[in-house]
Amino acid sequence: MSARLATLAAALFLALGAGAARAQDRLVVFAAASLRNALDEAAAGYPDPRPVISYAGSSSLAKQIERGAPASLFISADRDWMDYLQKLGLLVPGTRHDLLGNRLVLIAPRDSKIELPIRPGMPLLRALGGGRLALGDPYHVPAGMYARAALESLGVWSSVKAHVAATENVRIALALVARNEAPLGVVYETDARVEPGVRIVGRFPASTHPPIVYPMALVKGAAPAARDFEAYLRGERARAVFRKYGFTPLN
Amino acid sequence: MKLEVSVGKALGAFALEAAFASDGGVTALFGRSGSGKTSVLNAIAGLLRPDRGRIALDGEALFDAAAGVDVAVHRRRIGYVFQEGRLLPHITVRQNLLYGRRFLHGAGAVPLDKVIELLGLARLLERRPHDLSGGEKQRVAIGRALLADPRLLLMDEPLAALDAPRKSEILYYVERLRDEVRVPIVYVSHSLDEVVRLADTIVVMSDGRALYAGPVPEAMARMELRPYLGRFEGGAVIDARVGEQDLEMGLARLDFPGGALLAPDVDALPGERVRVRIRARDVSLATVRPEAISMLNVLACRVVAVGEPAGASVDVQIDASGTALIARVTRKSVAALGLAPGVPVYALIKSVAIDRRSVGYA
Amino acid sequence: MLLSASEIEVLGLSLKVAFTGVVASLPVALALAYLLARVDFPGKILLDGIVHLPLVLPPVVIGYLLLVALGRNGLLGAWLAEHLGIVFAFRWTGAALAASVMGLPLAVRAMRQAIESVDRRLEAAASTLGAPPLAVFASVTLPLILPGVLNGMLLSFARSLGEFGATITFVSNIPGETQTLPLAIYSLTQVPGGDAQAMRLCLLSIVLSLSALVVSEIMLRRARRRAHGA
Repeated sequence: MSARLATLAAALFLALGAGAARAQDRLVVFAAASLRNALDEAAAGYPDPRPVISYAGSSSLAKQIERGAPASLFISADRDWMDYLQKLGLLVPGTRHDLLGNRLVLIAPRDSKIELPIRPGMPLLRALGGGRLALGDPYHVPAGMYARAALESLGVWSSVKAHVAATENVRIALALVARNEAPLGVVYETDARVEPGVRIVGRFPASTHPPIVYPMALVKGAAPAARDFEAYLRGERARAVFRKYGFTPLN
Repeated sequence: MKLEVSVGKALGAFALEAAFASDGGVTALFGRSGSGKTSVLNAIAGLLRPDRGRIALDGEALFDAAAGVDVAVHRRRIGYVFQEGRLLPHITVRQNLLYGRRFLHGAGAVPLDKVIELLGLARLLERRPHDLSGGEKQRVAIGRALLADPRLLLMDEPLAALDAPRKSEILYYVERLRDEVRVPIVYVSHSLDEVVRLADTIVVMSDGRALYAGPVPEAMARMELRPYLGRFEGGAVIDARVGEQDLEMGLARLDFPGGALLAPDVDALPGERVRVRIRARDVSLATVRPEAISMLNVLACRVVAVGEPAGASVDVQIDASGTALIARVTRKSVAALGLAPGVPVYALIKSVAIDRRSVGYA
Repeated sequence: MLLSASEIEVLGLSLKVAFTGVVASLPVALALAYLLARVDFPGKILLDGIVHLPLVLPPVVIGYLLLVALGRNGLLGAWLAEHLGIVFAFRWTGAALAASVMGLPLAVRAMRQAIESVDRRLEAAASTLGAPPLAVFASVTLPLILPGVLNGMLLSFARSLGEFGATITFVSNIPGETQTLPLAIYSLTQVPGGDAQAMRLCLLSIVLSLSALVVSEIMLRRARRRAHGA
């Protein structure tokens, strides 16, 4: 009886193993978490075999690439992390392009009644009412770094920095607000638009933070198919999708 | 077969220091619980490593402390029947029996069918050990050890864990084993009955030492061994041959070097060898040959020694032309008859005292 | 179709990773269990402690240590990749390795208990029947410890199915390659509107673990009955 069960298990395992297309044969793309919905839809329009996309905070992705992760293409949410890899010589020279732009917004749960105009000295701490401000890690994650820059230039960072819920990527911050775990959060406008559980309280003026740019580049050792996909993302079809989600396609 | 054993080992507070030799047949290791019998058996099997000494079988050293020899257990080809049977619980009786076969180079000396027939295992073959009674387990254990083709068979109190009916059942099988399979046996027991029935040689052990090693009848007659053999059991053992059967009266004449005994209901044919136990308390003494008494057995003897008194009675060792006997009489009688070494006496033994259980068959 | 294509992919990968991890760790676990149960040697307590480390250390620590040692640029990892072509980092093999390391202490404990409860007198009896030590192990010890071995493998399997911290640290979160069930659920919690799907995968996780436990219990009972001769 146990011999038969073991054989069955082995057969099942082999079947599943053989069946699941191995990611080594497919193109692997590392992309910032905030790109999720838009990039998934853009990639859906790409002919098979479709690339495999791994989403996380740009800082995590960059460190993984540094450790030899098999990504062919990297799309970061800020220039710093792309620079980081470039300095380490891990990018294919001449393949770096600025792909998209974005905007930073202050959000609250959908049913929240908070009104808070964004201007210098705004009463952010009071508005938090004892809760925490959800944002990406303000020292590593691009969305968090942009948020910190904006709050610093508005003069309110020092008052709220001890009341922050720092997350590994911006989408976790988004989820915290959507689930009413945090009364307020700072995310990209594109994130707020895909999450029906939040409402936008205000937009941070572009002058309060460095321009939000999503650079894209091929990683050293990239599969040849990567170039096609990279070109596709800069093409009109993909740009239309990005625009739909609220990104600003750059040249 | 020649077995030479000389072992020394410190076992906690107990010191084992035993030496004896045996020439085949059934050698009994006899003594009280804790006298070291099982330790000696384990040393012979290789399951216990002595600190000093030598164990040799037919001249080949199995263990020699001085020469640094210690043959591994699985290479000694010494069968072991354990007190608790130790059958492998996850396989059938048949598989248990045949377990040792696959490690033999060539066929075993005793065929499977013979062992099954000898021990009555036919109905049990496809059962699992937990389905067997105590007696059945022991029979399988014996069969299993035999089928591994041993040069020597060790048995550690194989009857101890059984109830009375089971005991005689297994005893019967061990006797058949002794008689039909030519493998020497070392048999550990604290029951003198078993030893007297089965053994040719007895090694008397006490407190880790072997006090005496020699033929059973001789040991029984030795006064100095009385304390170790158990006072109630005291008596003599005589190896005799059936001379004549009086079928009408139901008596048999048993001939032995010192004379003849008449015993009732002896289930043997003329010419067959039997072993007879004469308990000391069944032997009376007279300095004059008595007349008109019911006792049929009157043997002319000579007093060899008078033992230490125990209460009102005392054991007197007497000799009937080379055969030793023991008589238990009162101190008063010893004094009245003037019994002392050298005095001629007549030993009086009731025929009916030599009952069925006193006669063992060779 | 009860499950979507991507859910099947995640399920298949989880099973593959857990199964491989358990099978690969079996000889190691058995050897360690035997060593700890039967052999006395200097430093035994230390070995026991090291074996139990994955039980008490944060999984992230284990994942990080695996990365340092076996990552592409790691001490051993670079050598393995260059000379033997074996790569663990960011591969399902790495996920399987993380799973087997995390499950090892559970397997060793269960197997050790089983070995310690074997009646050594049975082994002694077998050797008097002529069986050399290896044969005694194969024909007496192994059948008797089988229930314990199965139990250990099963506990290790269940642990592997739920392994997260070491996996995401060592091999990250690549769909189709290292995104096992727990990682997929984690990703879905970050997707707006992904709660429904996350819940589906949670239920799948429960069904999987429960099935594994039930199957093992059945197998365990059968093996136990067989070992005690029913």
